[in-house]
Formats: sequence, C-alpha cells, structure tokens
Amino acid sequence: MNTLPLLLYAAAGVAYAIHFARRDAAVGRTATTLLLFGALVHTFVIGMQTMEVRHVPFANPSRAVSTFVWLFTLSYLYLELTTDERAMGVFILPLIVGLQTIPALYPGMEYQDAVLDSPWFWVHVSSLLFAYASFGLSGILGLTYVLQFKEIKKKHLGYFYTRLPSLQVLDVMNSRAVAVGWVFLTFGVIVGGVWTAQARGIDPTDPNLQAMSLDDPKIFVAMLTWGVYSFSVVARRTLGWSGRRAAWLSALGFAFAMLNFLAINYFVTTSHTFY
Amino acid sequence: MHLFLLGVSHRTAPVDLRERLDFSSGDLSAAAEAIAGRPSMSESVVLSTCNRSEIYVASSDPAQAREELVTFLSDYHHVPAQAFQPHLFALENSAAVAHLFRVAAGLDSLVVGEPQILGQVKDAYQTAAGKRCVGPVLSNAFRWSFGVGKRVRTETALGEGAVSVSFAAVALARKIFGRLTGRRVLVVGAGEISSLTAQHLRAQGVGDIVITSRTQTHAEALATEVGGLAVPWEGMINALGSADIVLTATGSQRPIITRAQLRAAQGHRRSTPLFIIDVAVPRDVDPAIGEIEQVFLYNIDDLKSIVEENLSRRAAEVERAESIVNDEVTKFMAWQRSRSAVPTVVALRQRFEAIRRSELQRLEGKLGGLSPEARARVDEVTRLIVEKLLLEPTEQLKALPDEETQAAYTEAVNRLFRLQDEHNPESSKQT
Repeated sequence: MNTLPLLLYAAAGVAYAIHFARRDAAVGRTATTLLLFGALVHTFVIGMQTMEVRHVPFANPSRAVSTFVWLFTLSYLYLELTTDERAMGVFILPLIVGLQTIPALYPGMEYQDAVLDSPWFWVHVSSLLFAYASFGLSGILGLTYVLQFKEIKKKHLGYFYTRLPSLQVLDVMNSRAVAVGWVFLTFGVIVGGVWTAQARGIDPTDPNLQAMSLDDPKIFVAMLTWGVYSFSVVARRTLGWSGRRAAWLSALGFAFAMLNFLAINYFVTTSHTFY
Repeated sequence: MHLFLLGVSHRTAPVDLRERLDFSSGDLSAAAEAIAGRPSMSESVVLSTCNRSEIYVASSDPAQAREELVTFLSDYHHVPAQAFQPHLFALENSAAVAHLFRVAAGLDSLVVGEPQILGQVKDAYQTAAGKRCVGPVLSNAFRWSFGVGKRVRTETALGEGAVSVSFAAVALARKIFGRLTGRRVLVVGAGEISSLTAQHLRAQGVGDIVITSRTQTHAEALATEVGGLAVPWEGMINALGSADIVLTATGSQRPIITRAQLRAAQGHRRSTPLFIIDVAVPRDVDPAIGEIEQVFLYNIDDLKSIVEENLSRRAAEVERAESIVNDEVTKFMAWQRSRSAVPTVVALRQRFEAIRRSELQRLEGKLGGLSPEARARVDEVTRLIVEKLLLEPTEQLKALPDEETQAAYTEAVNRLFRLQDEHNPESSKQT
C-alpha cells in the first residue's frame, strides 16, 4: 500500500532535480503537482490504515515511518506553497523517498495492546512525529544555508548561488521550523511522561513501561535532541546564534532525531517495543 | 508587399553619427506618420534607442522605399545623405524579420541580453500603432517578435546575471538579505559607482540611505539625488553601527574602516549580517573585516570578476538564442506564406461551390420528386465531395516552401480553374 506514494514521490524527486538543474518553471510545477498527488494518495493510505486499526497507524515502526513521511511531505508542501520557493525540493525529496522505501518494503502489522488504547498515546506520537517533520525541514534548510553561505562568503558565486533562496529567507525559515518543532517535541515528551504514569496504573507488569527511564537509549537520545533544540532556540535569542551556527545546530539536532527514530527505534530500545 | 528595413546601429555607425540620426529626442509618432505617408510605403515603425535608429516599413517597391527613406532621414535630421549612407544597413523580408527578432531577443544589443530592448521595441510599435501607421505586414512581424523576445528570455540564460558592478552589488545584497525593504544603507564617499548603486538600492525599496563624505557638499548632492540623508564625516562610525549595507568609495590612501572600529560600532548587532561593498582603490575597508562571521566583504575586483563571469556565461547562451530566433523566423515565414495562400484558397472554394450549386439547380426537375430528407442528403453528399476534393490542395497551397513556388502555384491554380474570371467585386471583398 505504501508503494504507490513511494513511486509518486520518486517521480516528484526526479522532477525537482531536473527543475533545480535546468531552472525550468514548467518542470517545477510538474514536480509540485506530482508531490501533491503523492501526498493525496498517501493520505488515503494512512486513512485506510487508521480505519483498519482505529487509530493513526504508528505503533509499528514501519508504519510510524510512513506516517512521518506523510507529515514531512505535508510540512514541506506547506513551506513551498507559502513561500513559492521550489529549490528545497531537491534536498527534501531524497529523504522522503529514502524513508518511504522502509514501509514500502516492510509493511509490518499494527500492534494492538490495551496500553495503547489511550488518547495520550495518539497525542504523544503524533506531536513527536510532527516535531521530527519540522526538524527535518530545519535540517535541510540549515544544510542549504551552509551551501549558500559558503558561496557568498568565499566569493565563488556558482551553482547554488543562483538556485537557492537568500540567506535571510533560509535563516528565518530555519528559525521558525526549529521553534515549531521544539514546541511539539516538548509537548510530546511531557505527554509521554503523563501517559507512562497513567499506563503503569493500568498494567504495572508491562515490560515496556518498566523500561521507561533515562537508561533507555531512546528516551536518553530524545532528551539529548530536546537539549540541542532548546539550546538552539535560546542561543538564537540571547547569544545571537543565527546564521551558520544555527544552521549547524539544526543539522545536528535532526541527525539525533533520525538516529533515534530509525536506528534506535528498530534495534536498541527496550521501552518502546510495542510490536 | 515587402517588409523593408533601413537603419544604423552600434554595429554599423559610430556614436556621433547615431546621435545625429537619433529620433528619440523628437516626436517619434510624427516621424512614423511622415514615413507612412510617402508614396512607396504603406506602414512604418521607427525604433530609436541610443544604440540604433531603425525604420521598418511595408513597401511594394523596396528600392524606391530606400531612396525615399534616405531623403527623409537627411531632411528630418538635417544631415547630408553622403554622411550616413556608408553606415546604413538595409534588409528585406525574411532578413528584415530575422533582424527584428534578434533585436527583440537582445542578441543585437551592445550588452548582449540586456532587458530594456524588448520594452523599447514594444513602445516603438505601440507609438506607430497609435498613429495608425501599422498594417498587417508590420503588426504581424512585431507582435511575433515580442513572443520571440519572451521565449529567448525564458528558455535561455541570455539575460541572466548582473553585467555591471552596481547591479552585481545589488544582486548580491538580495541573495544575502532577501527583500531589501527597510534595510539601512550607509554610503561613504560620493562617486559614480556609489551613486548608481545607491539608486539601484533605492529602487529595491531600501529604508534610510545615509551618506557621508569628507566633502560635505558632495554628500549633500548625492543625498538629494537618491533621496538620502547626508551626515557629517565624524558621524560615519556611528552610522556604521546601524547599517545593513555599507558602500565605500573614498579616495583615502589608508583604510577608513578597521576591524576594531567596526567591532566597536556594531556592539550588540554583531550577529546580524553586514554587506560591505568597497569599490575604492586603494581599499577603504580593512580586508581582515571579511573574516568576521556575519560580514560579507566585496571589493571592486570581486565585483568585476562576477561581472566578467556573467558576461561569459551570457556569451555561451548566444548560440542557443540564435537557434531559437532562426526557428521562429522559419515558423513566421511559413505562417506568412500560409496566410498569403488564403485568397487563392477562398477563390477556389467559391468556384467549386458555385459549380455545385449550379449543377443542383440544373437537376432541380429530376430531384423534384424526392422527399425533403432525401434532398437534404443529396445536398450534404455533394458538399462533402467538394470538401474532400479541396482538402489536399488547400493544405498543399498553405505549406509551400518559398514565395517563388507559391507564386507559381497560385498562377497555375488561377489558370487551371479560371479563378481570375471569378474575381467579381463581391468575392474579392471577402478575400
């Protein structure tokens, strides 16, 4: 079911790449149309899975990745349509296509557990996924900021100079994406804590719940990620850490987030194994 | 009817002669009107910019038109004909069309790909059209040329990249700050480049432009010119602290802005981007300032090398632009021929239709017994036969490869079907 959106995303990715290289407006519009269409089909897939398991599908890591990709695509589309800047697409789409390959290859079954039958679970995961989507955007914005900065600072106005938006626009968009992501991350973590306390009351023997502490790599890295972004938000306002420093911070933060979301989620965690 | 073009341009005539033949100072529409009123010419457009004076006309006799235009130019500008005759260039039909398309595309400009020329071509056409000096020949060619100009602009990078130091500086500012609305500009030293750059920045909607110079009157003069504010020389460091874009162009032998001064002036604004354009030689700004994280320092050589790079990038696009122009000339000429085949096609159709009607009339007695449905069917069938018979010849006539062949075919068709006899006043009105 996740293959059709994958194919549409891949086609959009190719179109974004051609648009970036040739700066052809018509190809750019085609790219956006393909991506919109992919997002629409993906919405349908997520909707079907939601009806099937009666909550948004993310208790299984593959499905969570699919839902993340969906949110990420929607966030990017929002950014593109509100700023009319298509140059970022060529950086975003490889991430979307790469991640969507996971659910397309390993569909996975949705795990159902009484512990998960709680609105807290839904709020916890969806706000974290949305935070990650924002961080994904900010990471890419940071990366492109660094590319553009290098060319202007070193006075080698070349490939990226003509294609990427201005430094100011990239910096402001990055700052907003980090701020939005930070709010959702903070909220998601707090909700996670509240939900754990409640769930322990329902089923104190659940091994997942017993493992919920900072000793668990997933929770530890999540707190580390939160630390990086909190620092980024504070440093921008008090120390004037904008521009390249902020860009690197957002790239670092997103690396932590992805490490947690993919590697640790699949292989290491002891607390979030609802499958 | 021929499209004929006579003119001078930066390629054929020196600047002093171009100045003497320039129409733009006078009344362009009156000139166009005067030309179109001459006996051998029925339409005219006068295109006059600082790099060219060109007269496009529709004429049945180009040789005659040339003579009349030379006389006109001589009389109008009070310049003896022999002074400009050797510098004139004259083109006809497809060559004239090709020239017009190249001009509209910016290929014939002094700075290849400059954007103003397309607007100037449009203005020239509109001025002539306003005086009813254009007919089918020129209006088709000019309207087509607007599309060619647009196509070259969108499909090639011929017009891309700044090709002057001041525009390169503004383009850089836009890549650093995005929209320049509200940005504060400090100009140190009033010179030609600072004046031009300040004007371009003003056009981008920057906020305050503060100008300072060792000679206060220079600062004030530039301030009036660009709508800025002149401050005394002593206020420079203070103004530096609040500026986003700094432009320096003094004749000072030593740097006037050092790293320590900038640090002190910026204070808490250190983390906001600062774009410094130093066009002075020797340099006004200590090069070490360029190492500060959020400072982008460009000197005159940096800007010149950007301009050169852009120029060579434009030169690389010329070939693609030329092939677009050639393609459009071919399309336009084919379209013209297909249009000029229209009167023959119409005459041919009328002839066939007349035969069909007269035959139906002749058979009226025999068809009288048929039911209305059957009669309608007969009418339809005969009409379809005529349509089918004419379909192929019509297409062939419209697709003939050149004008001579077309003339020969038209003549042959006219003779074969005795179309000339059919040309009664009514049918010629319809064509």
